Amino acid sequence: MAALRYAVEEAVASLWRGRRSAVLSIGTIAVALFVLGAFLVLTVNLERLAADWSQAAELSVFLADEVGADQQRAIEEALATGPVVASRAFVSQSDALARFKQMFSDLAASADALDANPLPASYEVRLQPGVTGEAVEELASRLRQVPGVADVRYDRQWLDRLLAAVALIRRIGFALGALLTVAAGLTVGNVVRLALHARRDEIVIMQLVGAPTAYVRGPFIVEGVLQGGLGALVALLALGVAFWATQAPYLVPLAAALNMTAVAFLPFITAIYLMLGGMLVGCLGGILATRSESR
Amino acid sequence: MIEARHLSKLYSRGVYALRDLNLTIAKGEFLFLTGPSGAGKSTLLRLLLREELPSEGEVTVAGRNLSVLSSQEVQAYRRSLGFVFQDFRLIPRMSVFQNVAFVMRVLGVPVPVQQRRTFQMLKWVGLQHRMNALPDELSGGEQQRIAIARALVNEPQLVLADEPTGNLDPDLSLEIMNLLREINARGTTVVVATHDRELIRRVGRRAVTLDHGRITEVG
Repeated sequence: MAALRYAVEEAVASLWRGRRSAVLSIGTIAVALFVLGAFLVLTVNLERLAADWSQAAELSVFLADEVGADQQRAIEEALATGPVVASRAFVSQSDALARFKQMFSDLAASADALDANPLPASYEVRLQPGVTGEAVEELASRLRQVPGVADVRYDRQWLDRLLAAVALIRRIGFALGALLTVAAGLTVGNVVRLALHARRDEIVIMQLVGAPTAYVRGPFIVEGVLQGGLGALVALLALGVAFWATQAPYLVPLAAALNMTAVAFLPFITAIYLMLGGMLVGCLGGILATRSESR
Repeated sequence: MIEARHLSKLYSRGVYALRDLNLTIAKGEFLFLTGPSGAGKSTLLRLLLREELPSEGEVTVAGRNLSVLSSQEVQAYRRSLGFVFQDFRLIPRMSVFQNVAFVMRVLGVPVPVQQRRTFQMLKWVGLQHRMNALPDELSGGEQQRIAIARALVNEPQLVLADEPTGNLDPDLSLEIMNLLREINARGTTVVVATHDRELIRRVGRRAVTLDHGRITEVG
């Protein structure tokens, strides 16, 4: 406990003395975690979008014009509520026409001019949330075999593409973040090494008086941790400010255009992880510096 | 207290800094190591500080064979020593008080004890009025007195001093020696390396003369 107190006191003092070079390493950590954090905000929101879209995902089963009662019963059996199908609604030919007239009022007159109703009857099927694309594809191909089914359409493909894009963006973000984090760790290591170099005489004296290793190395490792933590804090603040500044002019209209409820910032726990990550990187930088220097 | 047996130190260029040295220093003794530059005085002190390991032979201090200590045992061993160097080796950014208290601080001694003992030591070396000064603001003699206060604040059994008066005039040198004699009178073993034969004469203690790494005279 005394060793920790000593290490923290010395680290804070050393950080203040070497504040010019410390700004450099805190800055690099901040940039690395800002990039990582920005990608996390992006993926968090794309995931929410994907979730919203999966809730609304529908399968449309269009029926042939002359469909018998038996055939319709068979179709309904295939669309029974289960692990894939959440619910279904029947839209008759006349319902479809009424809906068409309502949506495209300009064309209502020309629709009336037709002898017969050209729109097919259909089932609108709501899917269970989280259903895989394969399961839906399997249901769709089964339905296509059922007599009386003219066509099956669903927007699952779009969703799968969106999910694949989210995964790709997340991977790119992590790769970039990891690369920048390594750079940040090395910068911290070098800055800590500078501090170590400046206090070499002191370290020799400490070693000569038999100071425990925790007292000799501890302050430098804590200095790395502090740099990492401060860098993460700067990154989170910058991210918050950037989010707040773009929210009203860009993010809110974007969310509305995409049918999303709102654009979210980083979840609290993720922010904590970023903070801990920054401290860990700083700690590793500090350990690296004290190891290479004591050799 | 100190037992050196067939002690040799060979540096990479094939030069022996110490060669087959046998020496016994009794507990509570005050001993001078003397000889010209390069005689091996400082090498012997470095071996005693366990800054270096002997090439051959062994050295035992208070029953501890210094060649076989783990790094933690080295730390514990050094805590039982006090050392004084020619160049004082004070930490420039710390005040006089902090320099003296430093050893106790890194050893986790409670703060009130640190303060009390530091003040006692500063009073003993006569510099309690300079306790807030930085080392650079002190004269050479004052800096060395601070270094001695630091060496003794932890009540070591053994004090090693390497040319402690090398940078000081004769009067100040004697003053430093009197401090070391005083601590020796309380039972601490003191080993001083110096090339100043006049000082040895004035202090009047046993002196071992080294030349080219060997003992040439014991008197």
